Amino acid sequence: MNDVTSIANGDPWVDTANGTVSREIFVSEDVFCLELDRIFHRLWIFLAHETEIPNRGDYVVRTMGRVPVIVVREASGEVRVLLNSCRHRGTKLCRGEAGNARHFVCPYHGWSYALDGGLISTSYDEHLPADMDKADWGLVPAPKVESYKGLVFAAWDPGVSQLRDYLGDIAWYLDTLFWRTPGGMEVLAPPHRWRARANWKIGSLNFIGDGQHVATTHAGPSTLNRLHSKKAGFFVRGGESFQVVTDEGHGCTLTYLAPGMPEGNYLTHPPALRDAYAEVLSARQISMMHHLRVMVGNVFPNLSFIENQVALGEKAVLIRQWQPISGTETEVLSWVLAEREASAEYKDRALKHGFHNFGAGGVFEQDDLELWASATQASDNPIAQRFPFSFHSSLPFDSAPIENARGPGRAYKPSNTEVAQLAFMRRWDAAMQPGD
Amino acid sequence: MDDERGIATVSDAAFLEVQRLLNREAALLDRRDYAAWFDLLTEDVKYVVTARVSRPAETGPLDYAIIDEDADTLRLRVLQIGDPKLTRAENPPTLTRRFVSNLEVEAAGPPNDYAAHTNLLVYRQRGTAPDGDFYAGRRRDLLRRDRGSLRIADRLVRLDHNVLFDGSLSIVL
Amino acid sequence: MDDIVRSAPSRSWVDAANGTVEREAFVGEDVFRLELDRIFHRLWIFLAHDSEIPDRGDYVVRTMGRVPVIVVRGSDGEVRVLLNSCRHRGTKLCRGEAGNARNFVCRYHGWSYAIDGGLITTSYDEHLPPGMDKADWGLVPAPRVETYRGLIFAAWDPGVPELRDYLGDMAWYLDALFWRTPEGMEALAPPHRWRTRANWKIGALNFIGDSQHVRTTHAGPIALDKVRSEKDGFYVQGGESFQVVTDEGHGCTLTYLAPGMPERNYLTHPPGLRGAYADTLSADQLAMLRHLRVMVGNVFPNFSFIESQVALGEKAVIIRQWQPLSGTEMEVLSWVLAEREAAAGYKDRALKHGFHNFGAAGVFEQDDLELWASATQASDNPIARRFPYSFHSSLPFDHAPMENAKGPGRAFQPSNTEVAQFAFMRRWDAAMRPLA
Repeated sequence: MNDVTSIANGDPWVDTANGTVSREIFVSEDVFCLELDRIFHRLWIFLAHETEIPNRGDYVVRTMGRVPVIVVREASGEVRVLLNSCRHRGTKLCRGEAGNARHFVCPYHGWSYALDGGLISTSYDEHLPADMDKADWGLVPAPKVESYKGLVFAAWDPGVSQLRDYLGDIAWYLDTLFWRTPGGMEVLAPPHRWRARANWKIGSLNFIGDGQHVATTHAGPSTLNRLHSKKAGFFVRGGESFQVVTDEGHGCTLTYLAPGMPEGNYLTHPPALRDAYAEVLSARQISMMHHLRVMVGNVFPNLSFIENQVALGEKAVLIRQWQPISGTETEVLSWVLAEREASAEYKDRALKHGFHNFGAGGVFEQDDLELWASATQASDNPIAQRFPFSFHSSLPFDSAPIENARGPGRAYKPSNTEVAQLAFMRRWDAAMQPGD
Repeated sequence: MDDERGIATVSDAAFLEVQRLLNREAALLDRRDYAAWFDLLTEDVKYVVTARVSRPAETGPLDYAIIDEDADTLRLRVLQIGDPKLTRAENPPTLTRRFVSNLEVEAAGPPNDYAAHTNLLVYRQRGTAPDGDFYAGRRRDLLRRDRGSLRIADRLVRLDHNVLFDGSLSIVL
Repeated sequence: MDDIVRSAPSRSWVDAANGTVEREAFVGEDVFRLELDRIFHRLWIFLAHDSEIPDRGDYVVRTMGRVPVIVVRGSDGEVRVLLNSCRHRGTKLCRGEAGNARNFVCRYHGWSYAIDGGLITTSYDEHLPPGMDKADWGLVPAPRVETYRGLIFAAWDPGVPELRDYLGDMAWYLDALFWRTPEGMEALAPPHRWRTRANWKIGALNFIGDSQHVRTTHAGPIALDKVRSEKDGFYVQGGESFQVVTDEGHGCTLTYLAPGMPERNYLTHPPGLRGAYADTLSADQLAMLRHLRVMVGNVFPNFSFIESQVALGEKAVIIRQWQPLSGTEMEVLSWVLAEREAAAGYKDRALKHGFHNFGAAGVFEQDDLELWASATQASDNPIARRFPYSFHSSLPFDHAPMENAKGPGRAFQPSNTEVAQFAFMRRWDAAMRPLA
């Protein structure tokens, strides 16, 4: 596997000096296998939101790379991440996508496990040899499981840093999306799921900072939303905009309101809750939110988020996961969230608005997918792979961060360059090196 | 969400009227004639498509909306996919063929309003993908007499899918 | 992909001395990948007929091995073959199968290209570094594109010989099919396209010289055509028949009219045009055409052609491309052509006759496909692979070309041996050997 990095023509995958990235890494099965090894079966991977499993025994079934896991709230109230595979013959303990369990019973031969993974019984304990210690044969737990502001992550490498340290400066921005009120956020429905015939990294790149594609790809909803909003008497125009890059290849793009629209967008937040923001957010965070129109970003490798609004009262916070299936296929999960304390009616609007735009039938989503699939197909041959992708429009800006008055991280202007995308690719490249 | 009670029979005339409406509707959608299609809807139409979380049989499956539109947002959706300049997913257009079958009609509230239950199978081939695929589901339509004709006032499509297999849904079901 | 090529043993699948070919060559995925590299991404590959893109900006979308290309007529009238993939992030520029474009605009981020491939704008040119030369970032052109008698070919290896030299003696026969009249031929409809679960080489072998299969496989249409034609009072009986093999593994099978049917078949050619043949064809070519009942052949690797007729006024020129998808699947493209100058009524008849027999629902086609698929399936296992295919019936004839053939190339009699098929396999085997 390791000799895959020495690719045929000897060119690097990510050429930061020239601003190009090999197409091979967006299609190759060998690269995908290496990604599993170096990234998905090792680093912090987002799995679920705490509110998906509020009660003891609640679980959701998710995947980390190719590893199926159960994310369960065990009796103590702690969240555990367990390999979804019986220690006896490998059967999946949970074969649905979600549920509530008192314990996990394997339907094959009857091994049963407690919610914390401990083996209760093999059903034939009397046949076990004396030296088999049942404590060694519980469900395999992910060695690292941590939550940040309701976002549950796990990692299979016990040596990864603390989640809070891994998130670094991006945590400041995550706070403003995921913990604005004392109650925090709440997932409003199960995640939408769909398959895309495209590499997972295209999704991450699209969210971390792809201001260039909006006008072209999303001509439809961009045009129609504007008309629709004007009819409704209010269109939220964007003004100043920039990208933020933090350590570990995380990043986001922020677009503020156009001058002359002071706080207009802020009004789309749940009215009764705006005051509560001050209880959990810093003055600086609130100041940013007051002026914010869109925040969209990515936590390395495959957790994306967006809050976007066009019309008064129409906004939602979305989480996206780009779950790799192969070099050329991705399963996308998409959650809609709102503040826990918001009214039922507000949540209902947020949910509808969220998936009208970004769900399995999303008017933004459908056009991206069509183009990503065609990019993947067209790049999946050796002739195309002689010609790397262009990330040129990062280079003139890459080494010149601007003063970011409103938040941490390195900020860059304008926002329609590819600085954040190249930062993601650099981090990816480092993660793929044997010594990283 | 499963609102199918015992289906009360209606007259053959009413059954035929409903069948004609649904057949015509499917033909308009297959032809991508969204303007004419929109005219078959009431002005306060609701359009909901759900997918499904598979859960243990004891709990039962959970349906959740992937599309939940009123007339306003539905119009936006259709304006987008019907205009070659505004859509990428539907340019080149996907080929679709709708099969609407197993019709059962029941009286619903006011006289001459009906609930129609059908099975839906939509074959779709993307302009860019070599393989066609299918959406399958159960459809429940509330039909109301409005502006002189029977029109669709409320549609619920319960898809038999938990993962949509080929990207996001860019057609009307 | 290149790794496989490097590591591939310089082995042979063709046993020239014993007249056998290993089944692995017809099912193996490794063999398929090697074929892509050594054949489809390198040699001359047929792509389209000139008449499919008559006007400036007309294009069709085709595939060379796994490489998606646009075949477009430029503003200068020249045909170009461009990699159908944006240089920025790989999106397909043309996502339909055919059309007319003034320029190619990528719908993802808005890069736009002239129809000759030159990059016009990235939409964000102001963000590009000074070192990036837009002239280097046009759509990738196939380095070699040439047309012979309306047949457009391209190659990705810039070092391939001139197309005319590559076609060699086969050109003489192609002339008789594709350039009989001063205006040449015309594709009467878009190509039929279908998928078959069979290796592409079975198609090429079937056309280059497989007289043994005709009576068995096509018992149905032959019996029925005969009955029908006799009812109509005219059945074109075949007489002398032989195979022709030329350099580069091209070849064809010719069947002349039975004695006593002089030139009757020639009458099925468009009546007003027969006189015009002499304007473009040589006396030798005309003499052949006058006595010809069937010509069927293949240009290495995957371009086949046939002109066949059974009854008066029922004939068509068909071209065929066997486009490989994997070791065990191909897409078949099938065009029907007629002389440009022919009457509309004649063209209409030719088109109907052409796809009645050889289209996506062709009465000949359907029986071939069924048998090819079963051959592929039955060979795709290690037990079957121990037992090579028999090409024995080429050996006794291989070294004894006949004299007094009517055209160039090496001719062999009788026609129901496997000389031409084995010549194809030997050429294939040579192409698969490691490059010097």
